[in-house]
Amino acid sequence: MITQSAVEQLEQALGKDKLITAKEDLLVLGYDSTPGLHAMPDLVVYPTSTQDVIKVVEVARGHNIPLTPRGSATGLSGGSIPINGGIVICLTKMNRILEIDEENLTATCEAGVVTLDLFNAVAEKGLFYPPDPGSQKISTLAGNVMEDAGGLRGLKYGVTRDYVMALTCVLADGSLISTGGKSVKDVAGYAFKDLLVGSEGTLGIITEITVKLIPPPQTKQTFLAYFDNIRTAGEAVSKIIAAKIIPSTMEIMDKATINCVEDYAGIGLPRQMAALLLIEVDGHPAVVAEEAEALKAILEQVGSAEVHQAKDAQDAMKLAEARRTALSALARVSPTTLLEDATVPRSKLADTFTLIEQLTEKYQLTVGTFGHAGDGNLHPTVLCDERNEDEMKRAHAFYDELYEQVLAWGGTVSGEHGIGIAKKGYLAKQIGPGGVAVMRRIKSAFDPQGIMNPGKIFVSEQE
Amino acid sequence: MSDQQLLGNFTDQDAPAYEDVLQCMRCGFCLPTCPTFALTGRERSSPRGRVALARAVAEGRLDFNLAMKEEAFFCLDCRACTSACPSGVKAGEVMEICRAQVHQQLPAPKWQGTLRNLVLKKMVPNPDLMETSMLPARLYQKLGIQWLVRNSKILKLGPAWIDKAEGMLPALHPPLRPQLPDLSPAKGEKRGTVAFFLGCVMTLLYPEVSRQTVKVLNHQGFDVITPKQQKCCGAPHLTEGDRDTTREIAAFNLDLFLDLDVDAIVTDCAGCGAALKEYEEILAERADHERLHLFHQKIKDISEFLFTQGIRTEGLKPVEKSVTYHEPCHLCHAQGISKQPRELIRSIPGVEFREMKEASWCCGSAATFSLKFTDESQKILDRKLENVRKTGAEILVTGNPGCHLQLAWGLQQAQMPQSVLHITELLGLATPD
Ligand SMILES: Cc1cc2nc3c(=O)[nH]c(=O)nc-3n(C[C@H](O)[C@H](O)[C@H](O)COP(=O)(O)OP(=O)(O)OC[C@H]3O[C@@H](n4cnc5c(N)ncnc54)[C@H](O)[C@@H]3O)c2cc1C
Ligand code: SF4
Ligand code: SF4
Repeated sequence: MITQSAVEQLEQALGKDKLITAKEDLLVLGYDSTPGLHAMPDLVVYPTSTQDVIKVVEVARGHNIPLTPRGSATGLSGGSIPINGGIVICLTKMNRILEIDEENLTATCEAGVVTLDLFNAVAEKGLFYPPDPGSQKISTLAGNVMEDAGGLRGLKYGVTRDYVMALTCVLADGSLISTGGKSVKDVAGYAFKDLLVGSEGTLGIITEITVKLIPPPQTKQTFLAYFDNIRTAGEAVSKIIAAKIIPSTMEIMDKATINCVEDYAGIGLPRQMAALLLIEVDGHPAVVAEEAEALKAILEQVGSAEVHQAKDAQDAMKLAEARRTALSALARVSPTTLLEDATVPRSKLADTFTLIEQLTEKYQLTVGTFGHAGDGNLHPTVLCDERNEDEMKRAHAFYDELYEQVLAWGGTVSGEHGIGIAKKGYLAKQIGPGGVAVMRRIKSAFDPQGIMNPGKIFVSEQE
Repeated sequence: MSDQQLLGNFTDQDAPAYEDVLQCMRCGFCLPTCPTFALTGRERSSPRGRVALARAVAEGRLDFNLAMKEEAFFCLDCRACTSACPSGVKAGEVMEICRAQVHQQLPAPKWQGTLRNLVLKKMVPNPDLMETSMLPARLYQKLGIQWLVRNSKILKLGPAWIDKAEGMLPALHPPLRPQLPDLSPAKGEKRGTVAFFLGCVMTLLYPEVSRQTVKVLNHQGFDVITPKQQKCCGAPHLTEGDRDTTREIAAFNLDLFLDLDVDAIVTDCAGCGAALKEYEEILAERADHERLHLFHQKIKDISEFLFTQGIRTEGLKPVEKSVTYHEPCHLCHAQGISKQPRELIRSIPGVEFREMKEASWCCGSAATFSLKFTDESQKILDRKLENVRKTGAEILVTGNPGCHLQLAWGLQQAQMPQSVLHITELLGLATPD
């Protein structure tokens, strides 16, 4: 519980307008997109400047109150859920794009800028910010940085980390650090910036972000390849990569996903097919033409049922947009959608699909699978009902068994959604007690009091 | 358990279905499309937040309290979230149903007095209107003034706004309904017969628009029957959470129109069209399923109807104008009609069609009168106007009286040159008398 004196200090420091204390508001600021997780914060603040953030941290520190940063709460591992109550600090009102530097090809933004807004703003200036998580139309940049979000273009262009050049961050002791800068090279001391990326709000609160921009590709071609068998789709992915073609996008959807997305988007996806790959090659026109030909040849050779090419840019955009809705669209089938983020070396994709099919059968579940196939990053999603205890047990057993094998193949328990609350146990399995111990030491170097987003990533010593 | 309705703190009459609120996976895709979230930045005033609140009530974690009432009525019911939601959640509808809960669970609100004053001041001086004394009240509900009165606190409006709002209200005309003949005959080769559903706002505020609708239909070869006894579509009552009255009105209109031997029931008000198409759900427990379905199939927005019939362009006069189009929420989000009006505009000889950005972003119509008063809310309208400006078009076409009023007012305030026309007015310009 938060004390009256802490509330008063916050009121004084920030003004009443930026504080939320009514129960109805608090009720809706303690969830994210992770199913089944919810907690009540004691209070929520909406800072509008870095100075505000420092003031909040100071009050929290003085009263030993847990502090949970929140962006748009589209996280899929529970990162912004205040499991120990305390203060939620919501950065969505710090949403100004501060600078687009065309000489250095960088953009500097406040933490709460929406990903797609940045993309559009730089596109107007003829520049390109590639990271595009499915949630881009609402996710915040700081949320992306803190989860190291990937997206549809990850295969060729990399993930959020690859674009972060500098961060401004308020640490748990109230101090402000700036790490990185506009220089493209920087080896001055420890790479704090790299440590902060993907830290899920456990090391500090990001207030400003400078990202790298690149020139957009001159042209692109988009293909839809259909498959009678999902394993074949997996083979196609491995073969394409082995042929040294790096498409900008290589996304997969299985039959269940195709049907849900089609129910929503109605763009004529093939409902009867076992799987489809959405593939995009981009770059110099001559290279694109060459790669497109090679791609078609490989698809034919592995036995794709049909290959279609998008008519024009608008058509291609519609396809990508539709793919982005996959997760939410699957949610129309059942009350609860449990999704995972297993990532395997790409040569293991076909085997992973086989395994998912076997486990689905074994545990008698309904599963829809989609994901960033080109990255080996799959989201097998169990469509279930949280009120059915037996089904939930089977779902968890399904994931336990799946992850065991994924780890045995040298994969990871999270490709892009982070560990948060949901996957603490799996992380411990992946990195072992030694790994967890080092992470704890890093955490306490940054945050000796343990007030920054406690209870996330690893099981705390008290638990 | 799953097929049994979980009610929690809802009463059992007109409560949102638990399954419907459980369906939300909290992805937030709806957030950037919600005008009230854009206005306030407040999660509880977003579709995701509203559904979460309804879920908390159903699960007994929250009383059906004042905040629920506020959100139920602050929601514009614009349905933009329904279009945006990949999971098929209908936050707007959930809030509409919650309004019925307000009447059952909470005492009548104070704002009603203020509203009545505002309406009466404007209405009573005009004796012609007395015969239709219920119309003005509906009108003001539909134009969203009441939304504003009610939400002035949430929007942090100062006390002076109500006077200013009054000054902005349009003048009322004698209603069109009594003036239209029972039957306006088709011209040229006859293609069919339609019944005309004439909305309250259209008959009072935009009689000239609806005259053009009839003229265009006649010229296109349709007999137009306008039944005089027809009642309000029921949307304002639904909006108020008065579902019983809505059901009565709906049942009456259903019988009246189904008794006519017509090919379609046409309306030129997107809001009415959306409501009429919902009779099937509203009356689900009362009327025969087949009749409801038949009625639903006959209801056509004017642009939907003309597009499906195919427009006869011979004899049309060229209209040498550049035109852009604003999509009314109740047409594109509630009825899924998006392509048809654009195609119609394109088919008029001489017209140059220019697509605007964010054509389906709400114009803030229900928020009409607030736009002047808060910086934040002005932004909704500014955003729309800026998109209109960028097209450089001479005419802005839309298809709903609420939008019409809002856009005309906004353009005038911004001293922009565009005129606002209903789509049948544009067609009317091309149609010889
Ligand atoms: C439909 C859907 C599709 C998705 N698709 C993808 C995808 O393709 N790729 C992908 O990687 N992810 C995806 N996600 C997951 C999610 O959108 C990303 O993790 C995103 O980066 C979260 O951004 P957010 O603003 O919502 O952050 P939140 O969920 O609010 O927070 C995420 C984490 O960041 C922390 N945080 C937020 N702001 C700050 C700050 N200023 N300082 C410090 N810590 C902070 C929070 O404490 C939390 O731990 C998807 C989610 C959904 C619902
Ligand atoms: S209403 Fe739909 S779009 Fe909005 S959060 Fe829920 S599932 Fe997502
Ligand atoms: S109906 Fe409109 S105002 Fe209401 S929640 Fe949906 S988008 Fe927001």
